[in-house]
Amino acid sequence: MDAFADVHGMAQVLLAAFIAGMIGLDRTALGQFMISQPVVAGPLTGWLLGDLTAGLVIGGTLELIWVLDMPIGTFVPADATVAAVSATAIAALTGGPLPAQLPVIGFSLLLTVGMVPVTMFADHLMRQRNAQIPALALSPGGRPTETSATAWHLAGLIAFFLKSFTLCLVLVPAGLVLMSGFLALPGAVHRAMALFATCLPLLGAATVARKLSMKTLDRYLLAGFIVGAVSVQLIHLPPLATVVISVAGGMWGVRTRGA
Amino acid sequence: MAPERTSIRTVDLLGVFWRSFFIQASWSYDQLQSLGFAFAFIPVLRRLYPDREAFSARLASHMEYFNTQPYLASFVLGAAAKAEEEHASGRRTAVEVAELKKTLMAPLGALGDSFFWGSLKPFAAAVAVALLLSGNWWAPLLFLVLYNLVHVGLRLSLVFVGYETAGDAVALLSRYNFTRLARRYKVLSLFLIGCIVGTISLWDAEFRPPVPFSPPLLAAAGLALTLGMTAVLRLGASPAKLMLGLAAVCLALALGGVV
Repeated sequence: MDAFADVHGMAQVLLAAFIAGMIGLDRTALGQFMISQPVVAGPLTGWLLGDLTAGLVIGGTLELIWVLDMPIGTFVPADATVAAVSATAIAALTGGPLPAQLPVIGFSLLLTVGMVPVTMFADHLMRQRNAQIPALALSPGGRPTETSATAWHLAGLIAFFLKSFTLCLVLVPAGLVLMSGFLALPGAVHRAMALFATCLPLLGAATVARKLSMKTLDRYLLAGFIVGAVSVQLIHLPPLATVVISVAGGMWGVRTRGA
Repeated sequence: MAPERTSIRTVDLLGVFWRSFFIQASWSYDQLQSLGFAFAFIPVLRRLYPDREAFSARLASHMEYFNTQPYLASFVLGAAAKAEEEHASGRRTAVEVAELKKTLMAPLGALGDSFFWGSLKPFAAAVAVALLLSGNWWAPLLFLVLYNLVHVGLRLSLVFVGYETAGDAVALLSRYNFTRLARRYKVLSLFLIGCIVGTISLWDAEFRPPVPFSPPLLAAAGLALTLGMTAVLRLGASPAKLMLGLAAVCLALALGGVV
């Protein structure tokens, strides 16, 4: 609630909404350089709002959970960008010590579950309204000019920006209100949210495994697990070397198994 | 008298490449990328049709229904540029130009979705998350580099490949074996996901579950939980529902005094 208490707090919420609007453009309308992926959007938001750690934890956690929710054909997936930006903003603006504590991050991550249907509905509405744009691009003579086609096409960017901006402007204050209620709950609930936050990367791993393999116990997943566990527990390799060895091992696997 | 022949120049194709980043700026359910295609195609039409009426007529014809994977749209744009050049010099009919676009968009859509959304993105994400979990704050930057080296490089080259091959999909596939590459990225992603779970004892404190397990036991418990959640997802649960379920289990454990 501290975020509403002063002009600075409200400016921070507006900044978060602006970040969501700008980064949200990358999701569909502009470039698709993947700046909008949670693993980038979360840390970027956290850095701009003064809590990079919360952004890194939230972005890294949400990334694997939503990475394979794909925009195929006319299907519009859950807006993981707005979810990552809003959750990071809620954690960063809660008003406690920075970086935000794990229970606060865990509860912010839980709030993203409620954000999913809201973001999908907003996306659906906006894309329905966008259907009018091509007709507007036609001049009175029924044919488009370069200027009219360009202007109306690029006007779509404003619609995409406003969608993410408005969503964040609603979701962050709502989340902060819920967060103030959460902070008043007993310590056991806080411990539960800390455990929840740390279990989510495993849910992300399960989500990717489910989508990429037909088998629950995939041989490549198991091989990667063994390489990872042996590298850190028996050979004591640093994380970067372990990842490099895993990629090399995976490449060796696809070559020898003819993938 | 035969119509005067005008050739498309490299600068025109570079203009198409730049504009292709905006191809989904006005994306809608009804028209999808139709206006976006016309917008990206303007440099070609400007070169071929100095006459305002002819330009406007061809721009209108390129506003017909169009949808494909946004990155592989570059190939269709290049191919359509070649076809439009031939149409402007009277060697191809307008119907043939439209047919070429229709023929290419569906298969390239499926191919691009599978390669970019279904394999390259999860691979780059798995690398980034593996490094992020062990405390490397620069992992999001690596994600952007890994993804965009392939994405932007292909987007640029495909405009020219499409133009040079006049939309020959066989030539495209002989140059880039997307299906094989997709399979390899998927295997590498699974390997990395296994590695992420296997290195759980090296995760940063913000990510590591707060349980008093030894490193081997923690890795084994992480694998068991991941496989358990994969099995639940395979039964039809969504990641959002599983997040709620996980939060409920964590709450029960905390209230029961287990954590």
